[in-house]
Amino acid sequence: MSDAPPLLATRALTLAAAGRELVRSLDWRVGPGQRWCVIGRNAAGKSTLLRALAGVSEIGVSQRGAIDWQGRPQHDWSAVDAAALRAFMPQQAIDRFPITVARLLELSVVRPRHDARAALAALDLEPLAARPVLELSGGERQRVALAQCVLQGAPLLLLDEPVAFQDPAHQALVARWLGLSLPRDQALVISAHDVNWIARTATHVLALLPTGQCEQGVTADLLEAGLLERVYGCEWRDVGGVWVAD
Amino acid sequence: MPLTGARLGALAAVLAAAVLVVTVMALAIGSAGFDTELIRTLRAPRVAAAAGVGALLALAGLAMQSLLRNPLADPYVLGTSGGAAVGALLALMFGVAMTLGAAAGALCAGAVLLWLARHALATTDDASPRLILAGAMLAALFGAMASLLLALTPDQRLRGAIFWLVGDLSGAGDPGVNLVAAVVFTAWFVARERAIDRLLLGSVAAHLLGEPVRRLRFELLLAASLAAALAVASAGAIGFVGLVVPHALRLAGVQRTRDLALLAPLSGAGLLVAADLLARTVALPVELPVGAVMALAGAPVFVWFLARGGR
Repeated sequence: MSDAPPLLATRALTLAAAGRELVRSLDWRVGPGQRWCVIGRNAAGKSTLLRALAGVSEIGVSQRGAIDWQGRPQHDWSAVDAAALRAFMPQQAIDRFPITVARLLELSVVRPRHDARAALAALDLEPLAARPVLELSGGERQRVALAQCVLQGAPLLLLDEPVAFQDPAHQALVARWLGLSLPRDQALVISAHDVNWIARTATHVLALLPTGQCEQGVTADLLEAGLLERVYGCEWRDVGGVWVAD
Repeated sequence: MPLTGARLGALAAVLAAAVLVVTVMALAIGSAGFDTELIRTLRAPRVAAAAGVGALLALAGLAMQSLLRNPLADPYVLGTSGGAAVGALLALMFGVAMTLGAAAGALCAGAVLLWLARHALATTDDASPRLILAGAMLAALFGAMASLLLALTPDQRLRGAIFWLVGDLSGAGDPGVNLVAAVVFTAWFVARERAIDRLLLGSVAAHLLGEPVRRLRFELLLAASLAAALAVASAGAIGFVGLVVPHALRLAGVQRTRDLALLAPLSGAGLLVAADLLARTVALPVELPVGAVMALAGAPVFVWFLARGGR
């Protein structure tokens, strides 16, 4: 193990909105090669946490504690340096102007990567290159957003529900790509709801409980019926290796 | 479909040819027919003035659309031109340079609009219709202020209400400054194209990609206000050029800020030269204000754009 600081770390991070603590005193480290998945109920604070980790301020959210990127406080980073370190995919992109997918992807490059073409092929995006972004379906636009993050060339990828609008085939495609193609120096933090997709994709899980407490660990250890019940407030059964909510 | 390469070049060639034809027609046609002396002393300066104002208005529209991330933004519709008119009137009353007053008025109007839009711009919210409404109210307010100022000023040196409220090219003066300014703004757009195109993805997206969003917005506000102010100082508040021209180019498939910044001033110049030709000749011997001609054509087009869902 090297002594290099983790790509992302939080120290006693507390996030509150509308008088409620969404995340309470979170100490957390995300290193290269790790694929973290953040789970929690609707409105548990997954998106708020991801935005804070990305350094995107949000109206009505108060933040205490520290977020470090590569050992340096987030607010010490210039916008240009930050763009080379982290990419963030919001839940939904709102497009206003008619540009093509190809131009959008071209604008998203911060640090050019040698495997950019392979990533586009893996995400089934080459047929879309000449299409105007305003005409894409929700699922297509989401895969384009994922590709935007990849092409940015940052080692830390923060993805808010990257497969929410994907059909089963494309969910599998994204999972396979995240699992296999991610370079060793990259780390991933995703939010998602599909527990089985998470079990297949994530190496680690961070669970946001309704109380604001957080639990974290290796996916295989953490994802069990007891935790899922505390996170989602419903019963869970393991049916032949597949999690089913009751 | 988006235009690239050869097809974009073809569009540029067609536009340039159309502008050339319109310019020749505007030089040749008028109340007194073909007269070289008349063309040199009267029509050529008038055509150049129309071209300069048209180019500046198209660039002001492009800057406002990028600033507010709204393809329906326009300096006339959103009150920037009205602010410039009020500023110019106040400057005339107090004996300050008119262009300076117009620039200050346009900047104030733009700053108010930016302040009203701050929440929508900070998030990725869809606040477009609200912003357009707020801008329209701002335009109405400045129109009323200009009317009041005109009514309170008996001084005959001030040009009439039609000039300030609707726009007219009959007293435009030396077009040199406007033409040079149009070239400078175009060059600035081309130089900043990547940053501006990223800002069009949203302020959060642009920030994530490392763009200095605040500074860029300030520069765009300055560009939009100055371009609108120069246009208003020479021709009053002419509407819809800034809206219709970039919008039509986008509909034709022009997608990059660089291409828009080159083609919009060219098309804006041609459009205003054509509108002025119409205004001068359609009701001979009476000369109509070109702003009224533009509004007659532009307002229905704006409503049509709005009805299509702002795309």
